[in-house]
Amino acid sequence: MDQLIQVLIIGLANGLIFALVALGYTLVYGIIELINFAHGDVFMLGSMLAFGLIAPVASGGLGVFSITAATPAPLMVVQIVATLLICMVAMAFLNVSIERVAYRPLRHAPKLAPLISAIGMSFVLQNVGLVFGGAYQRTIEPIFPTNNLLAPLGITDIVVTPSQVFVAVVTVPLLIILSWFVGRTRQGRAMRATAQDPDTAGLMGVDVNRTIALTFLIGGALAGAAGVVQILYNNYTVWNLGFRFGLNSFTAAVLGGIGNLQGAVLGALLIGEINALSDFYLSTNWTQVIVFGVLIAILVFKPTGLLGQQLADRA
Amino acid sequence: MSALQPLPLPTTMLTGTLQDSALLVKARGVTKRFGGLTAVNNVDFDIPRGSIVSLIGPNGAGKTTFFNMITGYYVPSAGNISFDDHPIVSAKGNRVRGLKPHEVTSLGIGRTFQNIRLFGTMSALDNVRVGMNVHLKSHWWDSVFRSPGMLREEQALIDECMALLKLVDLDTRSETWARNLPYGDQRRLEIARALATRPKLLLLDEPTAGMNSSETRQMTDFIQRLRGELGLTVLLIEHDMRVVMGISDRVTVLDYGEVIAEGAPAEVRANPRVVEAYLGRGAAEGA
Amino acid sequence: MSTATRTIGTGPGAWLAYVGATLAALPGQYVAALRQRRVRTLGLTLLFVLIALYPLIGHYVLADFSRNVFPLPFPDDTVATFMTIFAIMAIGLNIVAGFAGLLDLGYVAFYAIGAYTAAFLASPHFGALGINLTFLGNVGPGAAGIHLPYWLIVVIAVIVVATAGALLGAPTLRLRGDYLAIVTLGFGEIVPLFFKNLSSVTFSLTLGPINIQIANQNWTGGVQGINPIDPPFLPWLNLVFDARSGPLAVYLGLFLLALAIVVARNLERSRIGRAWGAIREDETAAEMMGVNTVRTKLLAFALGASFAGVAGSFQASYLGASTSDFFDFTISILVLIMVILGGIGNIWGAVLGAFVLTYVDKTLLPYIGQRIGDVAPSIPNPAEYNFLIFGVILVLMMRFRPQGLLPSRQREAELSVGGLAEAERDMGAPLDLDNVSVAPPGQGETGPDARDVEVPGEARDL
Repeated sequence: MDQLIQVLIIGLANGLIFALVALGYTLVYGIIELINFAHGDVFMLGSMLAFGLIAPVASGGLGVFSITAATPAPLMVVQIVATLLICMVAMAFLNVSIERVAYRPLRHAPKLAPLISAIGMSFVLQNVGLVFGGAYQRTIEPIFPTNNLLAPLGITDIVVTPSQVFVAVVTVPLLIILSWFVGRTRQGRAMRATAQDPDTAGLMGVDVNRTIALTFLIGGALAGAAGVVQILYNNYTVWNLGFRFGLNSFTAAVLGGIGNLQGAVLGALLIGEINALSDFYLSTNWTQVIVFGVLIAILVFKPTGLLGQQLADRA
Repeated sequence: MSALQPLPLPTTMLTGTLQDSALLVKARGVTKRFGGLTAVNNVDFDIPRGSIVSLIGPNGAGKTTFFNMITGYYVPSAGNISFDDHPIVSAKGNRVRGLKPHEVTSLGIGRTFQNIRLFGTMSALDNVRVGMNVHLKSHWWDSVFRSPGMLREEQALIDECMALLKLVDLDTRSETWARNLPYGDQRRLEIARALATRPKLLLLDEPTAGMNSSETRQMTDFIQRLRGELGLTVLLIEHDMRVVMGISDRVTVLDYGEVIAEGAPAEVRANPRVVEAYLGRGAAEGA
Repeated sequence: MSTATRTIGTGPGAWLAYVGATLAALPGQYVAALRQRRVRTLGLTLLFVLIALYPLIGHYVLADFSRNVFPLPFPDDTVATFMTIFAIMAIGLNIVAGFAGLLDLGYVAFYAIGAYTAAFLASPHFGALGINLTFLGNVGPGAAGIHLPYWLIVVIAVIVVATAGALLGAPTLRLRGDYLAIVTLGFGEIVPLFFKNLSSVTFSLTLGPINIQIANQNWTGGVQGINPIDPPFLPWLNLVFDARSGPLAVYLGLFLLALAIVVARNLERSRIGRAWGAIREDETAAEMMGVNTVRTKLLAFALGASFAGVAGSFQASYLGASTSDFFDFTISILVLIMVILGGIGNIWGAVLGAFVLTYVDKTLLPYIGQRIGDVAPSIPNPAEYNFLIFGVILVLMMRFRPQGLLPSRQREAELSVGGLAEAERDMGAPLDLDNVSVAPPGQGETGPDARDVEVPGEARDL
């Protein structure tokens, strides 16, 4: 039983990372009905950038921050925050540029044209990752201490590590901020209006182009944050990371109900658990098959997902 | 296309007055709900064989929804419809089941659309040929090997489709792409395509929309020829009252999804409820 | 349409007579075409002659020259064979995506199934599981495993793959375009993973009288793969068409390609081809006109898939081996790029795209990489970044030339704003600008399926 709980905790941590990426997919799909194939690769590039900033030169990084387990805590916090900010801004900028170059010109083309363009963009980004990161995994030494935070409570069979807490500390506030932004601010309202009916929203004074760009900006920022978390929690990155993460995150978005923000988070946590359970009890060979199976099953049997659509009511 | 004798029409054609054998379409209790909105509410509707029936009413009255239910595009929320003694929509308890659109078409219902929906980048001839698909016998393997049977069928198909194009005066433009035809030609091409499905019942959705009076006259003459020479039964959605009054054997009026009047054209026109529906209460009282 | 069709009867004899008559009429038609349009017919003739002679020229002349004088970027026998293999696949995907308008991102699954069909039915693989069957195969008596002749394997592969296509399509074809794309992508990943993972199957089930014990059996060969696979062979002339046979295999590939082109053309010009076009233009209107859209789309999927079955079985027999590493998502996308680059909806476009892309990927880029490597080793090798180039091609093509190099007239009109005028010029019909009507809403996209989704509010206007 303890083993199961341990597996579930691991699944939760990865699920939170999936959630950040899944939100990017669901926001973009909600507003322009495009499956942004390249989004997972934006996440990958975010993690590559994070690697470059954090890893010491000895590990193959750029040595900008050179965070190691020996770095004193206050300095580490400052450096991590700085990395987060840099990666979020960079990936936000990248995502907006991609939209401008590859998707906006095709906004009035037949539906499948931007999808194909997204696939092309995904390959381009993967190869950029290949150029900068090389063909093999890039790893860093774990930075956080590995003591069991539950030990003081007398629990020794289940382990919660500081790095897992770190994941939650970064992701949960971001999710809350996003929810507030979309639900309460003027720009968030503009996003929801554009998702419902872009033409009418335009007539009501919403700058549709800027709203869409804003959506991509937010998605990119979240992906950048996820990239930083990936490096600091899972300690590795590789040029084709985006494919696996993209699959999991997109499935999560569909599972929760594409276009639905809460659904994306819920779906991501579920997918994180499914991943962990499958990796542990079956084998990692079959995990991808299972996730794809889940994706196909939802699309065939309940395409609106668990929580149905919210951001956009179009089928 | 054999020339049939025009069927002797019954003197009264109101819903519920004729025997089933004289009816081509018999619809009872047909209802359609979309979420909280009831678009069509408990409509009974008969179409006698060989008649021209018009369905009129203000915009949003449910006329096109009703068309869509007869053709199988929508499944009604309640009610049943039979066509040519075949049930095409039947209700068992709360569950309503209907035939798919292509099955309904193969039984003999053809239709046109309010906003023309031709296959724009296919030629006029090919548009009509698609309509004929439902009656072709060759299978996909015949297509792969181009069997003599398939080739003969294709040749006969072209002959029949060209005859239909000639009927609508488009035989000289058979190779033109549908989207390059002028508006009036497109409307007639749509009818030719619907005729290619060899229908017994032709549903025309605002066939004279956007036409001037001489074109309208040509279209109404054409519709009457379809009934007279080809023996078709026609159900019309129309807004042009001259057309409705001119060629209908019977008119049914819908408003807010319900039948508010039915009868011979002249009777319906004078009916105060109908006037009110179109023009408002003040006009009805002043009439 | 030949008037001879009116006079012939039915049955296989009549069909053979028809085929014979058509072939006999070809020279006369060719001469007439030559007289009418000299330049174009001559050009095409030259092209076909070159293609027919290339396997010999490449193998004997160019190879020699390349070895002894100066290396040339010419497609060698293997690359040329793969050009035909990918061309067959491109034609198949063109049927699914180009004719019927269904985006299939998992086409590699059918390729894999075709390859493994050959692998299972023409190798010693199943000998380890105790299944031995030789029927007209080119092996000695008592050989382990199943050994069937290649022509039979092709037929079986077509049937198996078409069935797989129908099974995949049945629950999924009612999904809208982008969802269908993702589902097919999923299948494109799952199928090769099954071939990879089922290399060590351990399973036990004891339920009443049922007692199944399977211990570490190798069902699909996994990453190590299945080899050797019998190559195609021709018994009367004692010819073997494997990777060592030089130009022979290329000719077999060209022959299969020619068959594929004929079949695709026949489908295009038939009632099912018109039905596909109607569905692609306006699915709802097609359904209302009596086209059974579900069945027609399923046929597109299954028939399109079967081309990949032919290609896959040929590839496996040619290479003599098959492993799950050969088959991944990038192949699905590669074939898609071939179709798009060549001209979606156009059979010759698909062939051109396949030839060009295979050549670039397998010959030209490695050649450039080697030449650069000889001179400046520090510059990255373009062959390793081929998908960067292909990705850029995709983005640029969708932006600037979505109709491809050899556009089909329909797709060109659908995809480009100026396409209408150009298409009209091609058709030769005058454009009556005063009376051209506005295109109806929803043209070019598949219509909404109102049967699955209840629409609150306004009744949908058809």
